[in-house]
Amino acid sequence: MDLRFDEADEAFRREVACWLATALTGEFAELVDAGGPGREHEHLQARKAWERRLGRDGWIGLGWPEADGGRGLSWERQVIFHEECARAGAPGRVGHIGEQLLGPTLLMFGTAEQKARFLPGILDGTRLWCQGYSEPGAGSDLAAVRTRAELRGGEWHVDGQKVWTSLATEADWCFVLARTEPGSLRHRGLSCLLVPMDQPGVDVRPIVQLTGTSEFNEVFFDDARAARDDVVGAPGEGWKVAMGTLAVERGVSTFGQQMGFAREFERVLAAARATGAADDPVLAERLLDSWMQLQVLRYTAVMTLGAPAGSTPGTEANVAKLMWAPWHRRLGELAVDVLGAAGTVAAGPGVDELTPAQRLHLFTRADTIYGGSDEVQRTVIAQRMLGLPRGPA
Amino acid sequence: MDVGFDAAQRDLRRTVRDLLDREGGAGRGSPVWRRIRELGLLGITVGERHGGAGASSVELGIVLAELGRALTAVPFLQTTVAATVLDRSAAPVAAQVLPGLVAGDLVAGLATPGPASSLPVGTRSALTGVLDNVVDGPHLDLLLTPALVDGDTVLAAVRTDVAGVARTTLPTVDRSRPQARFVLDGAPAVVVGDAAAAARAVDLLLAAVAVESAGAARHCLDATVAHLRTREQFGRPLGTFQALQHRCADLAVLVESAWSTAWYATWAVDGDPATAAVSAPLAKAYCADAFRAVAGEMIQLHGGIGFTWEHPAHRYFKRATSTDLLFGGRAWVRSLVARRAGLRP
Ligand SMILES: Cc1cc2nc3c(=O)[nH]c(=O)nc-3n(C[C@H](O)[C@H](O)[C@H](O)COP(=O)(O)OP(=O)(O)OC[C@H]3O[C@@H](n4cnc5c(N)ncnc54)[C@H](O)[C@@H]3O)c2cc1C
Repeated sequence: MDLRFDEADEAFRREVACWLATALTGEFAELVDAGGPGREHEHLQARKAWERRLGRDGWIGLGWPEADGGRGLSWERQVIFHEECARAGAPGRVGHIGEQLLGPTLLMFGTAEQKARFLPGILDGTRLWCQGYSEPGAGSDLAAVRTRAELRGGEWHVDGQKVWTSLATEADWCFVLARTEPGSLRHRGLSCLLVPMDQPGVDVRPIVQLTGTSEFNEVFFDDARAARDDVVGAPGEGWKVAMGTLAVERGVSTFGQQMGFAREFERVLAAARATGAADDPVLAERLLDSWMQLQVLRYTAVMTLGAPAGSTPGTEANVAKLMWAPWHRRLGELAVDVLGAAGTVAAGPGVDELTPAQRLHLFTRADTIYGGSDEVQRTVIAQRMLGLPRGPA
Repeated sequence: MDVGFDAAQRDLRRTVRDLLDREGGAGRGSPVWRRIRELGLLGITVGERHGGAGASSVELGIVLAELGRALTAVPFLQTTVAATVLDRSAAPVAAQVLPGLVAGDLVAGLATPGPASSLPVGTRSALTGVLDNVVDGPHLDLLLTPALVDGDTVLAAVRTDVAGVARTTLPTVDRSRPQARFVLDGAPAVVVGDAAAAARAVDLLLAAVAVESAGAARHCLDATVAHLRTREQFGRPLGTFQALQHRCADLAVLVESAWSTAWYATWAVDGDPATAAVSAPLAKAYCADAFRAVAGEMIQLHGGIGFTWEHPAHRYFKRATSTDLLFGGRAWVRSLVARRAGLRP
């Protein structure tokens, strides 16, 4: 057992830090700490340019096989990259849905042609993706998807509605889970289709969130078209593909996220010291708890995500999610609590004019919902990790 | 990075688990203690020059996690921690006692750590003070304790069977963890390390307690899940009820995170000692908390049977409580983390 990064990895860390120090200047200087969950509206054009810069300099697809245009780097190096980005305050990614969800799904299930067509646009940061899974009637119960697609005249015709689709206004393409076998039930008869957003049959309507901003949207498909070959995996096998996408969320980005959490904690602590809240015994204990839990998150990530594949039950990501989401939410509460009454005064009169502490407090309510709610994670852990039996349907 | 255990480490775990499945008893006269001695486990971290196996804190942790799981009541944790500390000491007394500790003829341990005001004071050769709640105190031949000598903290060793040392055995709720109070009145002492050595000794002790607790907590969860899978009420296994599934999932998160934290700290004690100054007390605080929570739920989710003397749940519950309250106690250990992390002055 050796839980340190080795010397070559540390050299890589210096290379990343150096690159970030040079790259986050000039037109990108304003992007430090911009974007990310709850702040997706910030500097969108500049952040898209940042994606292209990342792509140009080879920082997208670090862990993908070299044959597919990636760099084939070890998980340690990917972790280091994410950590350094967070440390430098690199902006929240706009291309993460393509890089972290669709790309790995194509690597697992895509044909050679699909990989050749779609991976380069992700790798060079020019093509943005959104994820069209959830629907009004299919949230936690994703198998209830009703959006349907039919192969007619050599192309797929898509009809239905998706909801909570993050970054759909910015995305060039959407990967859509749709029912392609009429009358099929539950997880059978679904397919994963790649649908271009810029066409008459696709209508995107932003939804205002409780933060006053809109990251997520409704997406309506009204005879939208997808090419015959743009189905990932065999038609009818969409459930397997969707589950694959959700499983790859297991990941190295957890570490970078923790570096970001550490920066957020430091800000909360600084505020607590400035207001004197850090001397209040109750708040001091909560600050200590928060800090300790953050270390525990890291230790757990090191010990489980770094374990060789196959040596674990495969539920590490569920455990990690059920740890960080409630932790982050409590940090959001602490962020406003250390400010006291002052924490209730907004940054301005507009509904979206929030201070960073208020935004953290409000946005972290979503952490325990998206990407599998806490309740869904608990069920997965109970049944798949602990082997508790399913109840009667 | 190299996460996980190698083949030899997995073998060690299996050997110890087999041994604990077969042999029982409590204390120095027990069959299990005899087997532990015969297998040379007491010298696991001690250098070969003193007759030990020269392994790292990770191997020690493997044995401790198994002892925690089985709740074996022998002075292993204390003796091996003391032996590990003495193995790093240049004091002549270390070389004198180590062979006895490795063989199991002698038993040693650390005084419960705590604030400077609780430490014995005196000279480099005689100490005065009260060392209370010393874990495994009734068994100890040799006691290591931080002490204040001329205003400096040192790590001192005191024999327990000499004039100037009065030992009182204390009755304990957790019967797997005997305790004694030692009153030192000009007790003969030898300095075996400086302040840094004393701090490192405490870090090792806390990491050892953490990994032992993590092993015990994991067992509590396993036993509870096994019960819920088989016990039927309302015509179906209790484990099919979502209310209970979700509670078990929360416990699983606690156990997994405690396990990882304990192993991180246990590795760090040898692998990255500078970071162990934070991770060891943090692991102790976190694992003790997790262990208490899981042991409490173990009773609840077993229902009436879990409240009996016969069922093992109460033994884990009592061990969890003593783990949290001893070895410096919850408030002191947490404040140690806060200070070392720079969160508090
Ligand atoms: C900020 C944000 C961004 C999102 N981005 C995307 C995106 O880009 N693409 C996309 O496809 N989706 C996205 N989602 C949707 C997200 O995946 C869903 O919100 C989530 O799966 C929950 O579904 P739901 O909202 O329908 O809630 P429901 O499923 O109706 O759940 C409501 C409540 O009931 C609980 N619950 C549900 N079923 C059970 C059960 N069996 N047992 C116990 N409790 C249960 C849930 O945990 C929750 O607390 C996003 C959501 C948010 C908040």
